[in-house]
Amino acid sequence: MRAAIEAFDAGADVALLSKIHPVRSHSGAAEGGINAALGNASEDDPETHAFDTVKGSDYLGDQDAIQILCDEAPADVYQLENWGAVFSRTDDGRIAQRPFGAAGAPRTAYAADITGHVLVHVLYEQVMKRDIRTYEEYFAWKLVMNDDRCQGVIAWDLLNGGLKSIGAKTVILATGGAGRLYVGTTNAYSCTGDGMALALQVGVPLKDMEMMQFHPTTLAPTGVLITEGCRGEGAYLLNSEDDRFLKRYAPNAMELASRDVISRAEQTEIDEGRGVDGNVLLDLRHLGPDRILERLHGTRELSMTFAGVDPIYEPIPVRPGAHYHMGGVDTDVWGLTNVEGLYAAGECACVSVHGANRLGGNALMETITYGKRAGRHAAEWALANTTVEVPPSTEADAERELRQLLDRAQGERPWKIRDELAQTMHENFGVFRREDQMQRQGEIVAGLRERYERVVVEDKGQVFNNDLTQALELGFLLELADCMIVAGLARKESRGAHARPHDYPDRDDENYMKHTLVTVDTDGSPELEWRDVTTTKWQPQERKY
Amino acid sequence: MSSIAPAPGSTTIELALKVWRYDAETGEKELKRYEVEAPDWVTLLDVLDIIKDQQDGSLAYRKSCRMMICGSCGMRMDGAAVLACKTRMYDIAKAGHEPVISPMGNLPVVKDLVVDMDPFWGKIRAVKPWLDPGYDEVAEKERVVSQQQMNVIHKEALCIMCGCCVSECNSMESDPEFLGPAALAKGMRFVGDARDHADVERLNEYNQEHGIWDCTRCYFCNERCPKGVDPRDAIAKLGAESIKQGIDHDMGAKHAKWFVRSALTTGWLRETELVPKTQGVVSAIKQTKFALGLLKRGKVPPPFPPHVADRVGEARALYNLVKEQGRDGALGIVQGEHALGRIEFTEEAGVRENAPEIQPGVEPPHAEG
Repeated sequence: MRAAIEAFDAGADVALLSKIHPVRSHSGAAEGGINAALGNASEDDPETHAFDTVKGSDYLGDQDAIQILCDEAPADVYQLENWGAVFSRTDDGRIAQRPFGAAGAPRTAYAADITGHVLVHVLYEQVMKRDIRTYEEYFAWKLVMNDDRCQGVIAWDLLNGGLKSIGAKTVILATGGAGRLYVGTTNAYSCTGDGMALALQVGVPLKDMEMMQFHPTTLAPTGVLITEGCRGEGAYLLNSEDDRFLKRYAPNAMELASRDVISRAEQTEIDEGRGVDGNVLLDLRHLGPDRILERLHGTRELSMTFAGVDPIYEPIPVRPGAHYHMGGVDTDVWGLTNVEGLYAAGECACVSVHGANRLGGNALMETITYGKRAGRHAAEWALANTTVEVPPSTEADAERELRQLLDRAQGERPWKIRDELAQTMHENFGVFRREDQMQRQGEIVAGLRERYERVVVEDKGQVFNNDLTQALELGFLLELADCMIVAGLARKESRGAHARPHDYPDRDDENYMKHTLVTVDTDGSPELEWRDVTTTKWQPQERKY
Repeated sequence: MSSIAPAPGSTTIELALKVWRYDAETGEKELKRYEVEAPDWVTLLDVLDIIKDQQDGSLAYRKSCRMMICGSCGMRMDGAAVLACKTRMYDIAKAGHEPVISPMGNLPVVKDLVVDMDPFWGKIRAVKPWLDPGYDEVAEKERVVSQQQMNVIHKEALCIMCGCCVSECNSMESDPEFLGPAALAKGMRFVGDARDHADVERLNEYNQEHGIWDCTRCYFCNERCPKGVDPRDAIAKLGAESIKQGIDHDMGAKHAKWFVRSALTTGWLRETELVPKTQGVVSAIKQTKFALGLLKRGKVPPPFPPHVADRVGEARALYNLVKEQGRDGALGIVQGEHALGRIEFTEEAGVRENAPEIQPGVEPPHAEG
C-alpha cells in the first residue's frame, strides 16, 4: 500500500491487487513497533541505527541499503503520523519509543502492542482517500513476461472465478513472507511466499533464502506471536529452574539481545532439559497490571485466548517459532529486480537490509521506506515508457495449465503434503542445522514435489474456490523450500539465523561474507551463485550482546 | 472479553457441528453436520480447517492471521457473530453441544460462510475515513498530542473491520441504509482525533438520516465485538459531540436534550412534552388520540400541574456538577469508560495501584502542527 500511495502521488495510474483484502495483510499482526532514530526517548541518530542494523545482520546486510533505510526512516515515520497513525505518546506529546533487542537506544516507535495494525489501517485510509483501484481477493498466479520485461500479472478472481490478466508497465511485489513453510510460525495462513516464487519463475534470483528468523517468543502449539515489546518493557525469560538463563548467553543485553541469539539460547535450554513442556517462560508479572493493560493489552488477550494464561498472574510459556524471512527477491536499493518493470518490497524482497538476522522493529520500517522507494521508481519508469501488452499465448498457456489441475479427478489432496513439508522443515531446517538433516530435507522436499505433481483440487466451482488457491500456494512453498535448502547446504559457516554448531560453529568472513543467489534452470532445478556483501564503513567485528 | 481459555494440553476431543452450506451457482442451501476428532486446543477455525482438509474441500470461509487481528474470519455460531480464530471449542465439545455455524448477517452470502463485504466497505467509505488535518500535509515532524488525547480514540483504533457488529445490528436489519456500528466507530476515530479539523463537517454528515440517531441502542454490537471497540459507545460519543457542537436538528438529538431538560427542571421525565419537543407540535397533535388512550388507561400521568420530584435538587446538583467538570462531549464518556474499567479491574484483581488518574474537565489543548 505504501508503494501504491507513492506511485499514485507521483502521477501514475495505480492498482492494488491482493489475495486478501488489504487490511487483512499480515503486517497488521506486527505488534512491537517501527524503528527510526527520532531521538524522542534518548539521544539517537541514523548512524547508530545503521551500525546496530549492520551488527544485527551479522555483517550480511548491505551497508549502503541499511544507510538509506536509517537515514530516511525518521521522515517516513513523521509522514505516517501526519497521515493519522495513532502512535503512543511521550509525556511531552511526541511519538513514544521503547527499547528493542540489540538496539543502542530506545528507538522503536510504537502504538501500544498493535503498531502494525495501526499502520496497515492508516495506509488503507490513505488508499481510500486517493480512491486507488483495488482488486480485492485476486490471487496473483503468474507474472506476464513480454519483450523481456514484466508487463502484468495473471490472477485468479476468488469471488467470481476465472483467470484475469491485468497489464501493467511495472509490477511491485509486496507479498510478504513464507512462514507457512514451518509448522510453528507466527505467520498468517496467507504467508506462502507467493511473490518470491513468482519472481523465481521469471528468472529473478532469490537472495539469502537460508536466512529464516526464529522469533524467541511464540505460543505453543501454533506459534502465535508474543511481541518483543514485552521484553522491551522489561519482561524476563526464565527456564524451569526459575533462572534468567540469558545471563549465560548474553550477559550484557540479557533479554534484549538479538533474536537469533535468544532463540538459540532458548532452544539450548529446552534441548538440555531445562524447558517447561518444550517451552521457556516469559515473565511479565513484575511489570504490574497497569503497564500490562496499557501497553501490552493485546498480548494479554492472546495469552488468555491461546495459552490459557493471564500474564498479570502467571508467566507465558513461549518457544522459538519461524517468523521472518530475511531472504527474498533480489533487488537494488530502488526495489528493482534484474527484470525490467519488476520490483519487490517488504519481506518478500531482499535488498538486503536485514542480512542474516533482522532486528525487531526494522521490518515495518523497511516496508515503509523501501515500499516508498519502489513505488517512486516504478512510477517514474511507467510514466516514461508507454506500451503494455499481455500476449494472448501467455493467457492461453495459463488457462491450459489451470484446466489441467482442475480437471484432475484422481490423486492426493494437498493438505498432507503441506503438513509434512511444515513438520519436516521445522525438524530439519530450524533453529539449529546439521548437514545430514539438510540433505535429508532436500530429499523429502523432492519427494513432496513429486507427489504435488499429481495433486487434486476437490472444489471444481468458480465462486470463492480457495481449495484451488491453497493448492497453488503449496506449489509456491515447495519451490521456495528447495531454494532454502540449496543455499543452506552451501553456506558452510554459522551466521545469524543460519546456525551450524556441529560442523561450522563460527562465522567465516573470509569465505562467506557473501549473499547466496538461487535461480532455477529450465527443468526447475536450483542453481546457486554468490555475491559479495556491500560494505561502506563498518568492518566485521565479533558479535556479542 | 477477558475470560481465560484452558491451556493447550495433549489430549483430543470429539466434537460435532452443523454448517449452513450455500452454493451460489445453484442457489442451494443445506445444513450439513460434521464430526471431527481434534486436539483439545482447537478453535472453531481449526475445526473448519480439519473439515476442509479431510472431509470437504469445497467448504468456503475466509481466514488469514488466526490471531484475532486481520478480521477475516467473522461468522456466526449459534446465531451470534464470532471470530472463528478466537473461539476455543473445548468447553463446547465437553458440554456435548453441537453448534450451528452460519455466515454473518446483514451482508449478502457469496458461498457457505463467505459474505460479500462490498456493502460494508461502502459504508466505511461514506464516513470519509481518513485524517483531515485542515492543511496541506507536511512531514517535517510529528504533531504534539498528549497520550490523554490519544486515549479518546483508543477503543475505536482497535477496530479490525471484521464486520461482526454489522452482522448483529438490529437497526441495519430494518434499515439497510443505516451507516452502522463499524462505519460510525470509524467516524468517531476521526471526530475524537485531536489532529482532525473536520469535526463539525463530519458530525453534520453523521447526523443525517441513516446516521447516528437511527441506532436503536440494542447494544448487540458492543456485545459481539471481538476486540472491545464498543461501537455503540462510539455512537454515543458522536451524539454527545454533536450536541456539544450545537448540531441538534435531528429528532434523536432533541429527544436526548429533552430528557436532560426535563430531569433538570422537575426531576422526572415529562413524557407528555417529550413528543412535541422531539417530533414537533404538528406531529404531536396527530398523536393526541393515542396519548388520550394512554391517559385513560393510566399509562401516563396527567400533564398538569407539572409533577415535581421531591428531591429535584439532587437532579439539579448532578446536572451542575457535570457541567462544572466539563464532562459534556465525547471526553466525558471516555472518562466514564476509564472509571468503569478501573472499577471492573479492581473487582477482578484486587486494588489496582497507580491507575491512570482521571482528570475531569481538563479540556485537552489543540494539536500543534
